[in-house]
Amino acid sequence: MSKTITAKKRLLAFLLLGWVLLIFSDRVGELTQYRGAFVATYALAIASIILLTGYSGQLSLGHSALMAVGAYAGALTINNLKLHPIIGLFAAALVAGVFGLVFGYAAARLSGPYLAGTTLALAISLPTIANQFPILGGEQGLLFDVGAPPARLGEEFSQYQWFFWISSLSALIMIWLLANLLNSRYGREFRALRDNPIAAQLAGINTGLQKAMAFGLSAGIAGLSGGLLVMLISGVSPSAFPLSLSFLLLAGAVITGVYGLGGVMIGGVILVAIPEIAESVAIALGGSEGFTISLPDFIVGSLVILTVLFTPYGIGGTLHKKKHNKH
Amino acid sequence: MIRNTRTKRLSIVSAAVIAAALTFSTLPAQAADPGVTASEIKLGYSGPLTGSAGLVYGKLPGGMKAYFDHINANGGVYGRKINLIIKDDKYLPTLAATQTTNLVLRDNVFALVGALGTPTHTKAYVSASLAKKNVPDLFVNTGFSGFANKSKYPTAFMVLPSYAMEAKIIAKFIKDTPALAPQASFLIAQDDEFGVDGINGFKLGGHTFSAAPTLYPQNGLSAALAEGALTKLSAVPGKPILILFGTTDTTATILKAAEKLDLVSKFTWLAGSVGGDANTLLALGVKPATINGALAASFFPDAKDLTDPYVSEFAKIYAKYNKGVSFDNTVLQGMNSAMLTVQALRAAGKNLTRAGVMKAIESKGASFASAGLVPLNYSATSRVGYNGYWFGQLNEKGELKPYGGKLAIFTTDSSSTEVPTASTYVRKSIPKNGVPTNS
Repeated sequence: MSKTITAKKRLLAFLLLGWVLLIFSDRVGELTQYRGAFVATYALAIASIILLTGYSGQLSLGHSALMAVGAYAGALTINNLKLHPIIGLFAAALVAGVFGLVFGYAAARLSGPYLAGTTLALAISLPTIANQFPILGGEQGLLFDVGAPPARLGEEFSQYQWFFWISSLSALIMIWLLANLLNSRYGREFRALRDNPIAAQLAGINTGLQKAMAFGLSAGIAGLSGGLLVMLISGVSPSAFPLSLSFLLLAGAVITGVYGLGGVMIGGVILVAIPEIAESVAIALGGSEGFTISLPDFIVGSLVILTVLFTPYGIGGTLHKKKHNKH
Repeated sequence: MIRNTRTKRLSIVSAAVIAAALTFSTLPAQAADPGVTASEIKLGYSGPLTGSAGLVYGKLPGGMKAYFDHINANGGVYGRKINLIIKDDKYLPTLAATQTTNLVLRDNVFALVGALGTPTHTKAYVSASLAKKNVPDLFVNTGFSGFANKSKYPTAFMVLPSYAMEAKIIAKFIKDTPALAPQASFLIAQDDEFGVDGINGFKLGGHTFSAAPTLYPQNGLSAALAEGALTKLSAVPGKPILILFGTTDTTATILKAAEKLDLVSKFTWLAGSVGGDANTLLALGVKPATINGALAASFFPDAKDLTDPYVSEFAKIYAKYNKGVSFDNTVLQGMNSAMLTVQALRAAGKNLTRAGVMKAIESKGASFASAGLVPLNYSATSRVGYNGYWFGQLNEKGELKPYGGKLAIFTTDSSSTEVPTASTYVRKSIPKNGVPTNS
């Protein structure tokens, strides 16, 4: 009974959030809409890492590669199969999900640093492989165009608001589904797997299959966020998915807190805001070029260290704890 | 009661007066475009300042800024000072898209100028809605011929000759040069629009290579791969021609591989204009003896040739406003783009609008003063900048001297199979003190 109420409450909360975002998107300028779309995209990518690392206990350093798989699948669906861009985004999630499932199944025997190493290899090699096939457009890549917003939304409705709607809606639906899943039997199985694989196996959980499933799901979500990312930059190419993206997202997940989805939006905001903050600080302090360039990475690194020292469960985890302590 | 009615009437009247005042005060004679005030014109640049591409092209915006500082010190453009906002995109498309969007939406620039990088700027152009917002994309520093497509990039103006033109002219040069014509020839090219445009140009120029081109992704040619490719080609008899169609850092990788394998004298080296900057090659550790005798194509005077009036004036300005940084071809390119921009802004008149600038380039751009030794081709129907090349040979000092001792310029287009023609173009002399006075 209590579970049903929680699920209903969650649905209401997401609907409310969606409504607030809808109103928000009408009130703000194009730049905020564009940044908001990036926040939603990064939040989704962080959620996929939380599912994999925080819940199923697998570490991936190759999420940028999984995002690339989704992005290319989406672009090919739109450009070559001439299907609707929304179907392209579905395809992004689906193809990356299947890829992740297969990869996850193959990598299920690996754990800890070995798995991290394998995913790292994926992140390094996959974009280079994309260069080898003419259908993937080489270094120049492929166009990813979701088209102009529907005319019935009015003349004032900008491209950036359209991006914001698509990204936010995708993120909301996906994170809602994920939140439900993590509160179900599967979520508990994932956690059991993370905390004690042997005990989980004794309890009848097929650890290999569950690990592969978690990897597949995480890859699917990452693929969708990859599709959204290249929608925002209007094209997909290997250099859009550098290794640094994987690390940035992982850092975002650590700051957010890997044991809950509560802070993903905050994580997204932080990732979008850091370059802006760094730029303002660099202008204010007027340091050398080297200082200006390394400042964003320095801020991210510092935040990760501070998070580990002072809020080991991340911002989301700490907020969650405070809320529960009050009761 | 009377008092109340009076108060009411008074408030209605004052509200009407305030509303009218607000309406009229916010209605200018003509809605001004963003980025222009009575005292300032804001321009934006996004390109690589860091990373391997930054190493080669990072000096470009500094060159532009130095020139704009010079113009500002000489009264600006009709009294308006130019403020160039520079952003680093690290040659990454995501950053290029966000930086360019930031320039347009946050910094409210009037126009973009000198944007560099084909795979990055093609995406940034769409993301930042440059077409929809009618933001002029002036003098794009890439040779991708696609930017001349007015229906796809309605606000873009190319400045560099396209890679296809370059390839066509290289093809003709090889054919016309008795020492080169009988030799086997090979192409090592970057695998993106850059290389593809080039390969297309070689086809249009009727040139057949002795083997399929070796293609590699940008930043993707390691020393080991270069050594492998050279070892394979060293078996070819005679003195084969190796055409390097990539960025300068890659040319350096290949030349250093040849040094290591002792194959420098085995080949005739021919570097495209993008990858043949001698200063950068030397700075990247290529030996002076290696570049000695290498062939390179250019549409500019050599940046080391201080007898050229443009080069000497630009070098003087640069030394004043960007002290301590060496002057090279990239700086020359940046300063030349800046000079074209100032002429475009002037040609648009005192009442500066975005549409006005683009129209001014279309109608008057072909007659702008510029350092280029080949003509500019702007017109109502053409967004092509320079359309030709000359060939030179590098010496140990890294100076590019005309091949055979005589400057021979050829012009062509990007799409036809017509043979490049010899050009008699004589450029306009540089405006006094390097400050344009056109209108």
